[in-house]
Amino acid sequence: MTNYLEVRDLSKTFDTFQLRNVSFTLPKGYIMGLIGPNGAGKTTTIKLILNMLKPSGGVVRVLGMDAAGQAQQVKAELGVVFDTSYFSDQWTVSEAERAISVFYPGWDRGKFARLLEQFHIAPGKKVKALSKGMQMKLMLACAFSYDAKLLILDEPTSGLDPVSRDELLSILAAYIEDGQHSVLFSTHITADLERCADYITYLRSGQVFFTGSKDEFVDMFRIVKGGTEELTDEIRERAAGMRTFPTGFEALVKTEDIPRFPGLTVEGASMDEILVFTRREGEENG
Amino acid sequence: MGNIWKAARLDLALVRPYWKSVCFNLVLPVVFAAVNRSLLTGICFAMSTMAMATVYPFSIAEKNGMERLYGILPVPKGALVLGRYVFVLAMGLLSLGVSLLAQPPVLRLLGVPVEPSEIVTAAAVGALLFVLFMVFQVPGYYRFGSIKGRAFLYIPVGGFLVISLALSKVPAVGRWVDSAAEAAPGRLIFSGALILLTLCALSVLLSVRIMENKEL
Repeated sequence: MTNYLEVRDLSKTFDTFQLRNVSFTLPKGYIMGLIGPNGAGKTTTIKLILNMLKPSGGVVRVLGMDAAGQAQQVKAELGVVFDTSYFSDQWTVSEAERAISVFYPGWDRGKFARLLEQFHIAPGKKVKALSKGMQMKLMLACAFSYDAKLLILDEPTSGLDPVSRDELLSILAAYIEDGQHSVLFSTHITADLERCADYITYLRSGQVFFTGSKDEFVDMFRIVKGGTEELTDEIRERAAGMRTFPTGFEALVKTEDIPRFPGLTVEGASMDEILVFTRREGEENG
Repeated sequence: MGNIWKAARLDLALVRPYWKSVCFNLVLPVVFAAVNRSLLTGICFAMSTMAMATVYPFSIAEKNGMERLYGILPVPKGALVLGRYVFVLAMGLLSLGVSLLAQPPVLRLLGVPVEPSEIVTAAAVGALLFVLFMVFQVPGYYRFGSIKGRAFLYIPVGGFLVISLALSKVPAVGRWVDSAAEAAPGRLIFSGALILLTLCALSVLLSVRIMENKEL
């Protein structure tokens, strides 16, 4: 299987934050969700992949190329969508196209026009007059117009309404349909990934907590529930995270540990719940 | 199309929506020249105001968070910087061209004689002034941003003041320059151009270095 993105031991040290030995791979034709709470290192990881930050250590390979050594070739194959537009707000949509299309030899003007029509974006409209969802679609239209092989999205759905989020997921599903494109999708809204992601990389406090298939991630944990008298020391020890109430408790435990707790109510854990429980644990451990 | 040219075009696209402000910078010096009845004053004013307007691409890019766009474009950072210098120089040339076309006829209409030698001198002084402003300003903007970087605009002004003061305090230096200009004017012009080119090269190198070390 060809990997479109390989991140190996990526590290970056700031005064108040450290990204430590982050490693993951994204195969061709799939969508990976990069998840984690705010401040976990998602944007830092993306900026390192884009060569916008200098790593303290580690290697990034995009489509088999060294992201640092062959930066220009790599960037020609990358499409990037940030949470806000990176165009001048005084540009019209057409002016934005004219300004950046010259940088991409493979830019297809006809395709861009068709995408604007598909996304209901008026070419004469100013960027500042576009809604957040429309600005996101404009960035996607640009990336698709030069047939970017790898799409990197940094929290594109934050601040979007449910309809725009749903549209984005449909667009991404269509984008990878031919098996020739991949998406790295950073978000803390895990509901978006439940629908579209094939792989998950979960960052917590600057480190990889999990990387692998989404199904594996969701299957890895269960939530056990019980009354106060059922909360044993063993549950406390084995729980990846726990919530206690005056009447009982909820604990996130590894699926393999479930047989140790007969008699307790066991439920599947959503990605959101895994994030919330494990973050609590991470915070408790400092 | 080379990367530098593409980068300069991107800057043009950035500044184009603000063309009215740029036009104001072109028209005001004509009025200034007419009021002062001096081509040299008008040209120097034109080049100084346009030098101040070179902050536009920096402040527009900052306002729109466009460092992210610069970070993802498939061009080396050095090409983006060189493109910016090309664009800034083009702004200077535009100002000089408009001033040379508009100011002499206006002055003549007002009855102020304008000799060809005066036009050549004003053009040379104006171009020199603009390039001096540029070589100090641009690295300042790259390093400190469009607000703090403005302080670098005052380096050439400070330099002129220091030189004026030095010439008034040590007249021998002025006499030496005068005699050198009379004895070998070509050599003096060549030396001046060489110093200016060296300053330009240092300015570009410094800006490229700042940009390459900058984490976007």
